[in-house]
Amino acid sequence: MEEKHGMAKVMAIIPGLAFMVFTLYILRTYVEPWMAHAVVLGQKGWFVKVLHLNYILLAIIAGMLYRNLMWGGKIPGWAEEGFRTTRLFIKSGVMMLGSLYTIQSLAKVGGVAITLIMAFVFGTIFFIMYYGRVQKMDRSLIGVMAAACGVCGVSAAIATAPAVRAKSADVALAIATVLGFGIASMFVSPFIGHMLHLTDYQYGAWVGTGILNSGQVLATCLAYNPTIAPGTAVAYGEIWNVVRVISIPFVVFFVTMWYWRAEAQTEHITLGGIIKDKFPIFILGFFTMTALSSLEMLGAEGSSTIHLMRTVMSWIFGLGLVGQGAYIDVRELRAAGGAPLKVGFAAGLFKYALALVIVLLFVSKEANF
Amino acid sequence: MSEPKKNTKMTVFKTDRHEDLAAMFFVTIAVVSVLVYMAYIVPSITLKAPMDGKVVAISVQPEAQVKKGDLLYSMEIKQKKYVHDTLEEKIVTKDFHAKTSGKILSISAKPGDVVKKDKNEILVLEHEKGVLP
Repeated sequence: MEEKHGMAKVMAIIPGLAFMVFTLYILRTYVEPWMAHAVVLGQKGWFVKVLHLNYILLAIIAGMLYRNLMWGGKIPGWAEEGFRTTRLFIKSGVMMLGSLYTIQSLAKVGGVAITLIMAFVFGTIFFIMYYGRVQKMDRSLIGVMAAACGVCGVSAAIATAPAVRAKSADVALAIATVLGFGIASMFVSPFIGHMLHLTDYQYGAWVGTGILNSGQVLATCLAYNPTIAPGTAVAYGEIWNVVRVISIPFVVFFVTMWYWRAEAQTEHITLGGIIKDKFPIFILGFFTMTALSSLEMLGAEGSSTIHLMRTVMSWIFGLGLVGQGAYIDVRELRAAGGAPLKVGFAAGLFKYALALVIVLLFVSKEANF
Repeated sequence: MSEPKKNTKMTVFKTDRHEDLAAMFFVTIAVVSVLVYMAYIVPSITLKAPMDGKVVAISVQPEAQVKKGDLLYSMEIKQKKYVHDTLEEKIVTKDFHAKTSGKILSISAKPGDVVKKDKNEILVLEHEKGVLP
């Protein structure tokens, strides 16, 4: 499709976006309530109680079905531009989640989150640098994989790629591997969480540390507990997610320094320059929302205003997650193979399992939040 | 004639930075719309049960004027709390206060009613224009 501009672009966005809205409307208005009452194997609400299905998981599944079954692996031209608004909605939702916290509550949980995230981010990077060399992977690919698996799947891979001279195929491979692992964990995590009777705090800490992509962290938390409120899985998971997203420029800098040290060109790269170019500024919106919430400018907790705000937020997330599902191409995931898949999968699984063990051993059942 | 350039970007914006700014703009519009709608357009709000439990007392009367912070009703709820990583449950009475000043239009619940979160209506409150209910 040709790049469109101005009004033509807006018009091109409408069909796909309307389709996403329509899908979400059907899921929330008809499918989800039907599932709550449907009797399967003699149990009322089997879909919800046994499969833990809710509108979040349904939105992702619907997106996946569209792309991989209905559209034969590719989003059609008429819907393409609309579906490209996916990240806009995910980022908007993340920003609005800032309203779940106050500065004091963020400070209380933030210390644990920062310690855990930083240990895991840099632990994973070192692991990939070591295991990638054992697997005789190209240095550029190791760099991209380290950033993708260490910090935040898509954004970090894209941000690091030019700095380590990675090819587009390297980036695609790293993203496909990380997202593939994330998709599997997105569906498996709620079951593990329920099986181990994790509290929302423990679950949020676990998936916020173990899963690599912002959208997937949100989806996994909301799949466990669809309520958007302080003290729920999404509120905890998001703190971990935000801490990780903030670390992107530092990771990009670290990986770049590692790459160029061997090429003896370190002097061209500065941390300041990378922060200026790569810092995900939407995170500032998250903290602005936290500041407004601390000042009670968004309404008091439990008020009707906050209730409506969270309903709007849940629709924004839902839209983003229909799109997120439609960006999952099963054929692309199958294409990720060989050493990068081995390294990415090993790192992902190691991080996911270790995060669970640490959470079970050291993170209390309830946060003082 | 050359092939039209294929657009493989995952965003409708020029760069990630543009997308971030657009998201900030979108959130501003969404938040301001909610605040204005609630403060100026919605005349009254229906307060539904904030959690599962039993209504034990209604502290206001229809047509009464209430101020922010005034006691509206009390409920008996099951409180779950982890003490040394063990889940403890106990029945407690919790008071619910007005989040905004206004006038009570009607009261649907009465003491003894068993209510479900977000399902059962407790009362309807007409709030002052310009404040967030």
